[in-house]
Amino acid sequence: MKDKKEKSSNSEFTPKVVGFLCNWCTYAAADLAGGSRLEIPSSFSVVRVMCSSRIDHNLLLTTFFKGADGILVAGCHPGDCHYGEGNYYARRRFAQLKKVMETLDLDPERLELVWVSAAEGNRYAEVVSDFTEKIRKLGPNPMNSSTRF
Amino acid sequence: MKAKVGVYVCECGPNIAGKTDLDEIITYLSEFRGFGDVELVVRKYGFLCSNQGKEYLEKEIRDLGLTHLVVGACSPRDHDSTFKDVCGKTQLNPYLYKIINIREHCTWVIDDMDKATEKAKSYLRAGIARVLYQSELFESPIDVNPDVLVIGGGVAGMEAALALAGENRSVTIVEKNDTLGGRAGKLRGFSFQEFNKPEQVEKLIETILGNPCINVFLDSEVTSVIGFLGNFEIEHVSLESKVITELFCGSIITATGADLYETTEESGFKYSESDDVYNSMEITEMLSSGDEITLRSGKEPETIAIVHCVGREELGYCSGVCCTVMMKTANMIKARYPDIRITQFYRDICLPPSGGQELYAAARSSGVNFVKVQSTGLSGTTVKFKEKNGDEGEQFFDMVLLASALVPSKDTPALSELLGIPVDETGFFQEAHRMTNPSATTTDGVFIVGTSQGPRNISDSMLFARASAGQILTKLLVGEKLVPEVAVTEILEAYCTGCGNCLDVCVYGAIYPDEARGISIVNEAICRGCGNCYGSCPSGALRTKHFTNIQLFREVDEALR
Ligand SMILES: Cc1cc2nc3c(=O)[nH]c(=O)nc-3n(C[C@H](O)[C@H](O)[C@H](O)COP(=O)(O)OP(=O)(O)OC[C@H]3O[C@@H](n4cnc5c(N)ncnc54)[C@H](O)[C@@H]3O)c2cc1C
Ligand code: SF4
Ligand code: SF4
Ligand code: SF4
Ligand code: FES
Repeated sequence: MKDKKEKSSNSEFTPKVVGFLCNWCTYAAADLAGGSRLEIPSSFSVVRVMCSSRIDHNLLLTTFFKGADGILVAGCHPGDCHYGEGNYYARRRFAQLKKVMETLDLDPERLELVWVSAAEGNRYAEVVSDFTEKIRKLGPNPMNSSTRF
Repeated sequence: MKAKVGVYVCECGPNIAGKTDLDEIITYLSEFRGFGDVELVVRKYGFLCSNQGKEYLEKEIRDLGLTHLVVGACSPRDHDSTFKDVCGKTQLNPYLYKIINIREHCTWVIDDMDKATEKAKSYLRAGIARVLYQSELFESPIDVNPDVLVIGGGVAGMEAALALAGENRSVTIVEKNDTLGGRAGKLRGFSFQEFNKPEQVEKLIETILGNPCINVFLDSEVTSVIGFLGNFEIEHVSLESKVITELFCGSIITATGADLYETTEESGFKYSESDDVYNSMEITEMLSSGDEITLRSGKEPETIAIVHCVGREELGYCSGVCCTVMMKTANMIKARYPDIRITQFYRDICLPPSGGQELYAAARSSGVNFVKVQSTGLSGTTVKFKEKNGDEGEQFFDMVLLASALVPSKDTPALSELLGIPVDETGFFQEAHRMTNPSATTTDGVFIVGTSQGPRNISDSMLFARASAGQILTKLLVGEKLVPEVAVTEILEAYCTGCGNCLDVCVYGAIYPDEARGISIVNEAICRGCGNCYGSCPSGALRTKHFTNIQLFREVDEALR
């Protein structure tokens, strides 16, 4: 399902993207990207959580309702979760939520789950830039302010 | 009491101060009215993690009577605990503080000074907004029991016990069999590397039995395990007398070994009890006991086939040790019976880096015949095989020896349940992390060693055993107290319907049902605060104390402002 087209025509649009990063892998990758002085879009905001499995439907939907144009959730590679299997649960919940998003007229593409290990600083920077660019093309979050809170 | 939030932005030399307009940030935040009736003190400092910096911060918290603290500096992975410790010296609870990473996530990754300044403002606002919703948490150190339980008295279990006893730890070994030694005990002199003398296993057993720090229960099995790192309560039962003994310990080492794969007719191995077909353990026992190698008819065999990789196809992994075992077997037979003709049917030969090649070369030079095949089967003592080029063949032998794969011991599923430790896709116990933490498990305080973890040789089994002993020695110090994670999850009783969803989700088994009250309860000593259960509760009864919805929502609000 695609968002209303007319809103995405503005090339000046700077998307607001929230990244929920797992403390043990992707947050460390983000630090590494920083240490390597890679460029991260300034509209991307990091929120640290202990494990990708903490990211539940409520948190994601609320973040969209609050006006995020895109959400990136990033955790450890399958098998590497610090807490055993958290990222498998995250993946399962994601699949469910994508369906819910369709019913809300939100393009499921606005939500992405990726695995980035602590060693993948370069990849982190790429993933964030690519995702931000994708959201820029999709345009602003179509939920108007009356449905937001 | 009115909140008074201290916001301290670290210059970190040019790292932060050189890439943002700090004065502008300070003025902006000081005048920011978005937090209601909250007093903000916003200041900057050179290097907050320096000793002067820490003293400065400590004094500020005290003198100004701060109720919350936000430090805008570097990654929490560098200095979160630094500033937590500073809070610990003052009236301020360390959980009412938050570090904001404006170096790694802002000044180092955003080149444009104006943009970096705006981003730093946004991250700092998010930090202030969040910290106002954090609550005090209190770390309560608990007494730990330094004693260790070792389940299984093979080489791995014995080596771990000795390493611990060497540091004066009390160790109890609970062994199912009537002797210590496990497989190596039966191998006696039969082994490929250091264990080339039968006395070595015997000496190890004697040392164990003579060590005042080590208590051994033979013919016994563990029947109940409750508790957590530092405080386990164990029950084990004597298989003979059925007497149950209680035991208290702080950590557990599982060293219960592996079994041998049993062939099936479906996989092409058709033979009966009366055929001269033996697995690697049976021939090994025959050789190490010094008995004659004879057929069931009493005659000496003229031809022997050794079939490699038995079970590998079905199991999907290579057992690593069987090739070496079979090289050694062939060499020992040849040394005693030079006239017996031996043929090895192999798929590929997997040998350990040290010593393996020599065993192989010796087998070759003593005239052992090697046939590379794609697959093998058996009909009595006739070996059926498919050659590399696809041709099928069969050959009769007097005796057949099977290099059977190592498989998880049959007690593994029950122990997995009892100890709350998972098994991997092969069915062996799973390590916490294959590369970085290979003898720990997802249950704090429970370790796995030796072949209970997967196929390996004696020296590797012993090496991992010493590694796990080392971890216990450094983790559970005698007389020290342990500080359990306090940023854990709680269940709000009023909302909980006792549905049990969260129980299934927690890999640590930290949640248990309180049937009388119809609710579930988190054992805070076990919970790690990962937050996985949060999303599983249909009634919103779960709350991960340092990562609540409201805390994260407030952070998101400011990020999106
Ligand atoms: C035929 C054969 C030959 C081998 N030859 C060699 C060799 O020459 N050199 C070499 O380095 N390696 C060799 N290996 C590998 C070697 O046997 C193992 O590396 C080693 O024995 C593993 O020791 P362990 O302590 O992990 O297990 P084990 O020796 O199997 O010991 C496990 C112990 O746990 C006990 N146990 C099991 N379940 C329970 C329970 N529920 N409660 C209490 N106790 C329990 C068992 O009774 C046993 O005593 C060989 C393996 C085989 C199969
Ligand atoms: S606390 Fe962090 S940001 Fe501040 S000086 Fe030390 S390393 Fe740099
Ligand atoms: S937070 Fe994690 S460890 Fe704690 S109860 Fe929930 S799932 Fe288990
Ligand atoms: S999922 Fe929620 S309601 Fe169900 S038992 Fe757990 S805390 Fe209670
Ligand atoms: S700890 Fe990183 S995804 Fe679970």
